[in-house]
Amino acid sequence: MDATYAVDLESVWRIYRRDEFEVRALDNVTMKIASGRFVAIMGPSGSGKTTLLNLIAGIDHPTSGRVAVGGEEITAMKERELARWRARHIGLVFQFYNLIPVLTAFENVELPLLLTPLNKQQRREHVEAALRVVGLADRMDHYPRQLSGGQEQRVAIARAIVTDPTIVVADEPTGDLDAASAEDILNLLRELNRRFSKTVVMVTHDARAERHVDEIFRLEKGVLIGSETGQGAIEARAANVAST
Amino acid sequence: MKYAMLVLKNLTRSKRRTILTVLSIAVSLFIFSALVSMPAVVNQFLADSASTTRVACHNKAGVTYGIPEAYKQRVVATPHVAAATAQSWFGGIYHEVSDQFPNMSVDPEMIGQMWPDWDISPQALHEFQRVRTGALVGHETMKRFGFHVGQQIMLRGTLYPFNVTLDIVGTLGGKAPPSFLIFRRDYLEEVRGRPGFVDVIWIKVDNSADVPQVEAAIDEGFANSSAETLTEPEAAFYGGFLAGYRVFFQIAELLGIVVIFTIGLVAANTAAMSIRERRTEIAVLRSIGFPARTILLMLLAESLIIALVGGLLGCGAAYLLLRIVPVEGIVGAIEIPTSVLFAALGVAALIGLLSAIVPATAAARRNIVDVIRAVA
Repeated sequence: MDATYAVDLESVWRIYRRDEFEVRALDNVTMKIASGRFVAIMGPSGSGKTTLLNLIAGIDHPTSGRVAVGGEEITAMKERELARWRARHIGLVFQFYNLIPVLTAFENVELPLLLTPLNKQQRREHVEAALRVVGLADRMDHYPRQLSGGQEQRVAIARAIVTDPTIVVADEPTGDLDAASAEDILNLLRELNRRFSKTVVMVTHDARAERHVDEIFRLEKGVLIGSETGQGAIEARAANVAST
Repeated sequence: MKYAMLVLKNLTRSKRRTILTVLSIAVSLFIFSALVSMPAVVNQFLADSASTTRVACHNKAGVTYGIPEAYKQRVVATPHVAAATAQSWFGGIYHEVSDQFPNMSVDPEMIGQMWPDWDISPQALHEFQRVRTGALVGHETMKRFGFHVGQQIMLRGTLYPFNVTLDIVGTLGGKAPPSFLIFRRDYLEEVRGRPGFVDVIWIKVDNSADVPQVEAAIDEGFANSSAETLTEPEAAFYGGFLAGYRVFFQIAELLGIVVIFTIGLVAANTAAMSIRERRTEIAVLRSIGFPARTILLMLLAESLIIALVGGLLGCGAAYLLLRIVPVEGIVGAIEIPTSVLFAALGVAALIGLLSAIVPATAAARRNIVDVIRAVA
């Protein structure tokens, strides 16, 4: 498997058994995502987008095929090893934020750092930096119930990037937000990609995402039907040309 | 310690539920401590009070039948008998019927040799032997009624149709049953008209190895008489009185176990509900990279803290309450032994662990995708 790719899937199948039925969530998917790209995975409901994302994030196993992330094959990893790997390499953003309600914004962002050998002061510095990046440094001591939906998602993004992961994986990050907040989040993800060269893989229904991403992969009924260049890549190329 | 913050924050998630769970465990441990203390206190009393060289000689048919006073001479003449003291129960009450405590009459001459472990001061002993109406009182009874040395008190007869007026000349300490009152048997005999019978002859054997021989010799000596004797060690003698209560102690212990089992079920249900409503958060923690084992340990720690706090409150309350509001019995004031306190805390810890182990294990191992999909 090619180590230059942030994500490298080869002949991946994912079949679920639901009672007596067999559901083919992914059907022989092969795809590669280059490092430093901002990618969207799009398709109708039930097309296998989230399943694909879960495999990339290492929270699910393929029925067959190989999955490599950051040059490391994760297909055969046992659960404990996979958990350690996720803590180091993956930053997860969920549709419904999934912040811990009894923890402040600071404490929520700190959670992934508890799995590292950093001391308290070092963890504090990382958390404050992450919250500054998402523009919520002044909301550190707020609880999720005291934040708006957009702010909660920003905190979730801060939590996802605080360990400087190899790849940020976002599942419908704008799905529960109003138009303005959704645009803010997409801009933030693009900024993470542009400014910090973070590889971002996002599952979305949101058509606005096409303007921000470098590449779009389309899925339908578990089959990867194609990929296309996103408007984000086009604009980036144009900006490059203009600057030279 | 890094995860302590997470554990403590989760405990405050639903303060009402946490407080109610703690209190329910506290009440159960309070009841458990109190119930289980009863047999423990009695066993401790028997272990503490009974001497290995003191034996009791009484009517084989039962203590209430009495034995002739004259038996004492023959008992004293038995080899290896160092001292002998006759005792007759009085069973009087002080003021009200509820003011009962063990009181009996004994021969004054040899009580120093018979009960050296009762810490009777030489002066008190001298006065008891000098003053015909003298009485020696255990410290619990002194405290209960506010008696003092030199005070005159009257005990109203219950078994006998007369009262006795006594002068407190000293106290009983050491291993003496703390609620006892003893007065002179010659005084009682005079008041009741010298019937010539006693309830028990206490015998001090010079060596514990000779106890069986002394017991056999005395009982053989009175075999086939009109008042055959049974001579037995002090612990067995007192144990015989308490034998009738054993079934209640067993019931008390059983009730204690039932209470613990019941609260265990309640705690398990509460733990399961609490963990279930956090299944998404648990899945998120696992997706971040928290190992299943770490999550399991955090959940168990939460349950353990709740149970131990409840246990400390319950045991502590039982201990303090029995010190502040003494419950008196033949064995003195009922206190919760340290062994029961530790046992109760151990039980609390077990409740905490066992109630959460199944739901916590299931939650920590549940498939992340299934949980997150269920919410989405």
